[in-house]
Amino acid sequence: MTTRTKKTSAAKPKRSTLAATTAKPAAKPKPKRARAAAAPASSAPSPSALPETKKEPKRGRRAEALAAEPAVVAQIRELEAQLDKLIDEASRHDVSSLDPEDAETWHGESSSPEPSLPDPTLREPTFPEPFFDAEATLPVAPPSGSWPESRPSSGSIGHGPGAGFGVAHKPSGVAAAPPPPESVFDTARELLSSDFYLRKWGRLAMRGRSEEVDDFGFDPIYDAKIKPVLDFLYTKYFRVETSGISNVPASGRCLLVANHSGTLPLDGVMLKAAVKREGRDLRWLTEDFIYHMPYLGSAMNRLGAVRACQENAERLLAKEQLVAVFPEGVKGIGKLFAERYRLQRFGRGGFIKLCLRMGTPIVPVAVTGAEETNPLLFKIEHLSKALGIPYVPVTPTFPLLGPLGLLPAPTKWTIQFGEPLDLSSHGPAAADDEILVGKLAERVRATIQGMLDRTIGSRKSVFFG
Amino acid sequence: MVLPKRKSAFPPSAIASGDDPAGEGPDPRDPRDSRAELARADARDGLGRHVGRVVTVTGAASFLGTNLVGLLEEDDRVARIVAIDIKPPATALRKTRFYEVDFTQPTAESRLSEIFAAERTDTLVHLAFLASPSHGLAVAHELESVGTRHVLVAARHARLRKVVMWSQTTLYGADPSNPNFLTEKHPLRATTSEPFFADKIEAEAEVARFAQKVPGAVVTVLRTAPILGPTIHNYVTRYLSRKIVPTMMGFDPLLQFVHEVDAIAALKLAVDRDHPGIFNIVADGVLPLSTVIKLAGRLAVPIPHPLAHTLGAALWLAHMSEAPASFMTHLRFLCVADGEKAKERMGFRPAYTTREAVLDFTSAQRLRDVKLLQETPA
Repeated sequence: MTTRTKKTSAAKPKRSTLAATTAKPAAKPKPKRARAAAAPASSAPSPSALPETKKEPKRGRRAEALAAEPAVVAQIRELEAQLDKLIDEASRHDVSSLDPEDAETWHGESSSPEPSLPDPTLREPTFPEPFFDAEATLPVAPPSGSWPESRPSSGSIGHGPGAGFGVAHKPSGVAAAPPPPESVFDTARELLSSDFYLRKWGRLAMRGRSEEVDDFGFDPIYDAKIKPVLDFLYTKYFRVETSGISNVPASGRCLLVANHSGTLPLDGVMLKAAVKREGRDLRWLTEDFIYHMPYLGSAMNRLGAVRACQENAERLLAKEQLVAVFPEGVKGIGKLFAERYRLQRFGRGGFIKLCLRMGTPIVPVAVTGAEETNPLLFKIEHLSKALGIPYVPVTPTFPLLGPLGLLPAPTKWTIQFGEPLDLSSHGPAAADDEILVGKLAERVRATIQGMLDRTIGSRKSVFFG
Repeated sequence: MVLPKRKSAFPPSAIASGDDPAGEGPDPRDPRDSRAELARADARDGLGRHVGRVVTVTGAASFLGTNLVGLLEEDDRVARIVAIDIKPPATALRKTRFYEVDFTQPTAESRLSEIFAAERTDTLVHLAFLASPSHGLAVAHELESVGTRHVLVAARHARLRKVVMWSQTTLYGADPSNPNFLTEKHPLRATTSEPFFADKIEAEAEVARFAQKVPGAVVTVLRTAPILGPTIHNYVTRYLSRKIVPTMMGFDPLLQFVHEVDAIAALKLAVDRDHPGIFNIVADGVLPLSTVIKLAGRLAVPIPHPLAHTLGAALWLAHMSEAPASFMTHLRFLCVADGEKAKERMGFRPAYTTREAVLDFTSAQRLRDVKLLQETPA
């Protein structure tokens, strides 16, 4: 019932607004059509950016809104088909495909030299043409500006003064020549026209990214693209060994609680790679400062990192996701080398409260090896405000070798997953019991510390395990 | 003070006999949304004749106003539309009465009050806000902040039953410490040094005060995400219709839009039924800025952000950019609102996702690019 009422209310404005948009260009088709055909390829990038399939759902919905009037539907379909054709023609600016009468109108209008441009120049596979049009796309054209003025000027940018004029007149001889045969030259023309590259660019632009990311910004295609890099880091560089991964449930919500270390927050990514091998996607919560940093924040976000805050964690767990937290936070990655593998305070026990409220089991995780990747000797905290990061790390290599110094050392990593801790016996009300929360947080901390101590004790070499 | 009078005006018998005008049942998820409430909104005169509602729309010539007036013209439950603006809406038909009121004039208050009383308005839809940042800061302040006060004082004076106000989710402010989804409880943290935000935040404070002072009134605030669509023109569409779109180097925040049709549908929903409170009106899904630009077929040019602020401020001064430099935080950080409350309480289901809204805008923009579509901006 409610969905129906909502649909009608949503459909109404759609009809009025969309009908207006579709009807307008159809009102005076003839001159428009001619102009459209003559429109420069500068208009091509936006049409080419969209694969044809994307229009389908929208069209279906429109038709649905007007299902009552089949005549209108047919009319709109026809108009849309016409529009598609027009756009296609405009983007290819292929005058020859127009009706003779349209071509006549177009010639009638051609008081200026520009309209004689498209047909012959396109027929001729010249090299300057792509550059010419590529240039034409660059200047920010005023919306009301008509293209004939902008075209020669932009052409002169590409070719030097007078080139636009020359191009306009050169083809008069070529136009008399018969059109080139369809087969080889057609392909060549297509390859050499700027439009081809713009279309290609339109498609390439979406390469390596999804058209839709999930609510928190995870992009599966980007993730797949980065996967080989992560796999290299995981298997070859850090040679990560995992144990007890069966403690991570195969489905349902679960919170991984891990120690945080290394000057660069690499442990989140490696933890993700480890869990991914078991077929589960991991979302991990990161500190705010990551989002102040260019590139790092958005890249991490596309890979599945989420800003650490109660609301986000709750939302993720409510979706039955596997979430990793590093309760030490910035204090964890900012540990000096002398304090390595000594767990810092576990925040204010926010993660325990979260688990109590959401009825989520906790799996303690101990990551070893990450502490030695970028051993932190000092921290410079004076610049933190200006740079938007909590501290400037000083490692044996970092400011010394420039950005290269931030490359992590190839230490041997182990990731241990401990026994899951079930808090469901306490009930959600226990989240307000600060004493209990503190006790549980300490218990988790002690478990991880114990796992760390055992691994460090049995480890013979930092680099070979 | 307000309610008793109203009760006598609509005796229970009239409510009981009142047929459901829309033929739509109450929302089962919302216990407060009963038939009685619908019937109460459906005014009758002393003889029990069907009169219909009187809806006043301020800012009626704006994009949202024009479309809402057009929708209300088609709605049989609405007897009269009172359009208030400085120019008449293009969609005004038989039912619409237009009054020219300039909110920046000090006499606006009394004039509005007179109009409300004379037209016996029961619902006010306050849309007199600037959709895009303006260089005329003084006028913008008078219109939005002071104008809202004028409107609400007049509304209180005329004892309006219901006020629907338009607001925007950009007022939450883009900040790296924002959760991924901002709920309505989140404070409006947009920088108040930017008049565009400051005036609207003040207007929201005014309406909150109004809701406190007039407990009987139904006050709905709809915070829409940036509106995108084939026919709307605002600073976002202008930004995305540039051939070269400036972005912040290394930052790629998640963006959220709402389709124009959904925004109008939400306003209509809020007018039709009583949904007191604040609601985020947003489309489903988010998209990274870079993907939005690529879907729109534009070229992104990353600019280092320390430089960008100065550059943006200069361009704004030279009237060469769509928005002042303070909007640049929206190109760096997250400002995405949670539309769950509007879904649950209002029954608002956006027809378009963020991606579909972008694509719909793009398809119209493509026509504009090849000059197949020319329209006069609303």
